[in-house]
Amino acid sequence: MTTVAAPIPGLNPRPQVILWPLWVAVILLQVCGALFVFSSTLGDTTTALKQLVWYGVGLAAMLAAVFLDYRVLARWAFAIYWATIALLVLVILVGVERNGARRWFDLGPFSLQPSEFAKLAVILALAQFLSRPVEELRLRATLLRCLGLVGLPFALVLAEPDLGSAIVLVPTAFAMMFVGGVPPRLLGMITGAGLLLGTLVTVDALFAPEGWRFIKLKEYQRHRLLVYFGKDFAPEGATPEQRRYYRELQRQKSWNVEQALISVGSGGLTGKGWRQGTQNALGYLPRLGAHNDFIFSVIAEETGFVGSVAVLGLYSLLLFSGLKAAGQAKDRLGRLLATGVVALLFSHIFINIGMNLGLMPVTGIPLPLLSYGGSSVVCSLVAVGLVQNVYLHRRPH
Amino acid sequence: MLFVDQLRDGHRPLRVIGALVATGLFVLAAGLWRVQVLAGSRYVASEKSQSIRLVRVPAVRGKILDRNRQPLAENRPSYDLNVYLDELRPSFVWHYTNLVLPDFRAVHGRRPNTAERTALQQSARLLAYSNLVQRAAAVIGTELPIEPDRFLRHYRQNLALPLPVARNLSPAQVARFQERSLQLPALDLEIEALRFYPHGAAAAHALGHLQRADEADNDPDDLLFRYRLRDWRGAAGLEAAQDALLRGRAGVKALRVDSMGYRHEETLLQPVESGAQVVLALDLAVQAAAEKALARVAPDVRGAAVVLDVQNGDVLALASRPAFDPNVFLAPIPPDVWSRLSDERLSPQLNRAVHGAYPPGSIFKILVALAGLEAGVIDPGAVHAYEGFYKLGRQIIDDTAPPGDYDFKRAFKRSSNAYFIDHGLRLGPEAILAMGRRFRLGERTGIELGGENPGFFPDEEFLRSLRSRRTPWNDGATANLAIGQGYLTMTPLQAAVMTAAIANGGRLLRPRLVLGLEPSEAGGTAGQVFEPVVEGDLGARPRDLQLVRDAMLADVEEPESSGREAFIPGFRIGGKTGTAEIKRGRQLEDKITWFVSFGPYPEPRWAVVVVIESGSSGGRTSAPVARQIFLALQQREAGLAAGRFAAFQP
Repeated sequence: MTTVAAPIPGLNPRPQVILWPLWVAVILLQVCGALFVFSSTLGDTTTALKQLVWYGVGLAAMLAAVFLDYRVLARWAFAIYWATIALLVLVILVGVERNGARRWFDLGPFSLQPSEFAKLAVILALAQFLSRPVEELRLRATLLRCLGLVGLPFALVLAEPDLGSAIVLVPTAFAMMFVGGVPPRLLGMITGAGLLLGTLVTVDALFAPEGWRFIKLKEYQRHRLLVYFGKDFAPEGATPEQRRYYRELQRQKSWNVEQALISVGSGGLTGKGWRQGTQNALGYLPRLGAHNDFIFSVIAEETGFVGSVAVLGLYSLLLFSGLKAAGQAKDRLGRLLATGVVALLFSHIFINIGMNLGLMPVTGIPLPLLSYGGSSVVCSLVAVGLVQNVYLHRRPH
Repeated sequence: MLFVDQLRDGHRPLRVIGALVATGLFVLAAGLWRVQVLAGSRYVASEKSQSIRLVRVPAVRGKILDRNRQPLAENRPSYDLNVYLDELRPSFVWHYTNLVLPDFRAVHGRRPNTAERTALQQSARLLAYSNLVQRAAAVIGTELPIEPDRFLRHYRQNLALPLPVARNLSPAQVARFQERSLQLPALDLEIEALRFYPHGAAAAHALGHLQRADEADNDPDDLLFRYRLRDWRGAAGLEAAQDALLRGRAGVKALRVDSMGYRHEETLLQPVESGAQVVLALDLAVQAAAEKALARVAPDVRGAAVVLDVQNGDVLALASRPAFDPNVFLAPIPPDVWSRLSDERLSPQLNRAVHGAYPPGSIFKILVALAGLEAGVIDPGAVHAYEGFYKLGRQIIDDTAPPGDYDFKRAFKRSSNAYFIDHGLRLGPEAILAMGRRFRLGERTGIELGGENPGFFPDEEFLRSLRSRRTPWNDGATANLAIGQGYLTMTPLQAAVMTAAIANGGRLLRPRLVLGLEPSEAGGTAGQVFEPVVEGDLGARPRDLQLVRDAMLADVEEPESSGREAFIPGFRIGGKTGTAEIKRGRQLEDKITWFVSFGPYPEPRWAVVVVIESGSSGGRTSAPVARQIFLALQQREAGLAAGRFAAFQP
């Protein structure tokens, strides 16, 4: 005889639908972002208000991304993907040029950065592509198509050029392929090949004499590598005059890295206080980068180690919520989506903060949710919305 | 738990991803710990060093007052016109975008490259600066030099500091500028306290002078400052001797500069503390009289005069000629002034009263007389006959006194060499040298001025060295010593201390030049009063001192005496003339003419000493100078009695 336990009232309530830690992290990060965009623009209300508007727009888009079932959304994945590819091609042709790069469409009151949207599109398309039966993923042809799927936007973004945005696609795609079930052996091969290529590029850039550089890096990209590896700019056998020229060049090129480090370091344990940072106010941090790529320097200077670690804490809340959603996803599509978002956000965070700490070479990528910038804010929020979406439709316990 | 669950449960690849994310975040946190906590202070230091410039702000120098609180050295406001380059920045940009850049494009038809842009920006800055200077010149109504190199150097090195474009504006210029200063942004008046000696060359040697201290300073404490404002340091006289007190404590200003090096804000880290006020024993009226009396001898007279209060050692006058105007050291010195200042024969910068050591000649007879009376060798009543010269062996020593009979007083007032050599030889060198040492000859008097000359007086070591050179002390040396020639020199100040000791009953006083210090402003360092110091006592018998004083009185008052030109009716003065000869071989090279005196007899209050180089004789050249000084002292008494001056009360 079996007894069926009657449901005890209150013990088995309606399943929780909201991934609370995620929302807490998002809201607090936005508060922090608004405060420090304001601080890093030296109290420019317009920029801070614009950022708030972007947060609003982003939250709306995020809600849309929550309520539109991700399985429905996934059916449109390739349409979105190809539309994005078209935009990436278009931006290279007709985008506005700033600092020698065509990354933006000028839409009057704001500008649109398609590479941000490309990141989302890649996640969607890749999730859709990888959610096919696991057996197919073992086929080399599938793998090559998968690589092509990532490689095309990667190449286009690289051509803008926007190395940072292209680079983050790599770990994102890897994490998704790994979680999706691509055999680790194959991934290892690709990793090996990638590492080899990366090493070749680096060694070529660092050590090969001029004229022997087979891989054509932009001069500024080569300089960033030289700065990162602490190499002398001057080529061997340079005349004293050239040496002086290169030394000055090196000083200029390492300036941002050094000033970011000084900002972070001089924040000490508890920081100088909100809007009390001097590195940005006195123009030592790049004026144009302080509220986007270098916003972490400002936060670290003004709130110190305590504040910086609190920011890291908020990000880990966000990332691990994503991993939780992935773990409880109803299907592989959901798990892949959530994994992709986590990997994408983590790549941004690691590269951006790493750059402010001198752990990573300088690449212009934003810090999700904190850096000023509409495209980045909206895309990050949509990505977070996808995570909530996956959690909403998770499998029952 | 959110984190642990993800690392523990579920799908293996997700666990790996979770572990990677956790590791990545941990690496970042560790990096933050290293940069912000472990190396934080290092980055704070480099943040400071790149953005903070310490500027030394000199304090206002303390005044120097005479005993009646008349300023001898004070400060006057100097108005400088300064350009603040940070405020000129908009103008730099304007000149670049509206003038320099369009010009370039018109000529080359393209945008400038990076190197060209740097050069163009520099010329835009220079243009903006020279336009401003020209407008300022029009406003104040004076030509102002542009000096492009100076501007560019300042821009490179001292961007955060104001750049002076005009110094020492006249009151009219200041008024014109203030009327129209709104039209001249980035320009501002700066008031600087500049040293000023209202009486020019008066007491110049006692006061000394200043020199710039912000350039080429080796003070290791000051190496902290990359930037210093114009500052001065005492280079001679009291300005040097009391420099630390007069100078006060410099303030420290921290300038925060931006990444371009422009001034961003200023913070006063350490307030300025004004220097102390120094009150001197000098009496400006007496000092001026002494200088004037010296100057009346000849325009380029070389000499000195000292007036001491015989009771407390107060230095009422310390005059030296030729003099200089200490004000000239505050600006670049014109070449003709400099060539006179550095003339070797005139040596106007030499304080002859303190740094000049001269053979005393006959004034030394005072000391020989005292020694002789004390030893009983000189009997004041005994009369001796002399032939108008003294024969020592085969050597003849000349005498200005005529042949005849001499008692002590006549020998003293006629300054008979024969009498004093005769008695000096009988007395022996030891007694004379011992008396000299009792007068502390060859030692510094201890006046508060640097580099005092101790003069020369033979000590044991010197006598030993003479013996070792096989030219031992002989009767010739004793004969010379008895008339103040040979192996001895004295400064006028030492002669004054000697005379004062005769006058006051044997007390050797330390000359007191500084009466006290006062804080310049309330709350500063406490005031200080320097008490008179007695360095020693001669231990002479009052009877002997009285005999010497009487002889000195006779030297001024009696008809055939050598010092009668110092005579003032109704004011009794005791004195002794001296005419020391400086010979090279047998050749007379120069004469040093002395007059040492005290007055009024019988209760002396002042000692007056006058020395003149290349005079004709002590009586004719120096005694009249002393007479002028005594007249001034008399007048001062009348003034003090009428209550014209407030006495020094610290």
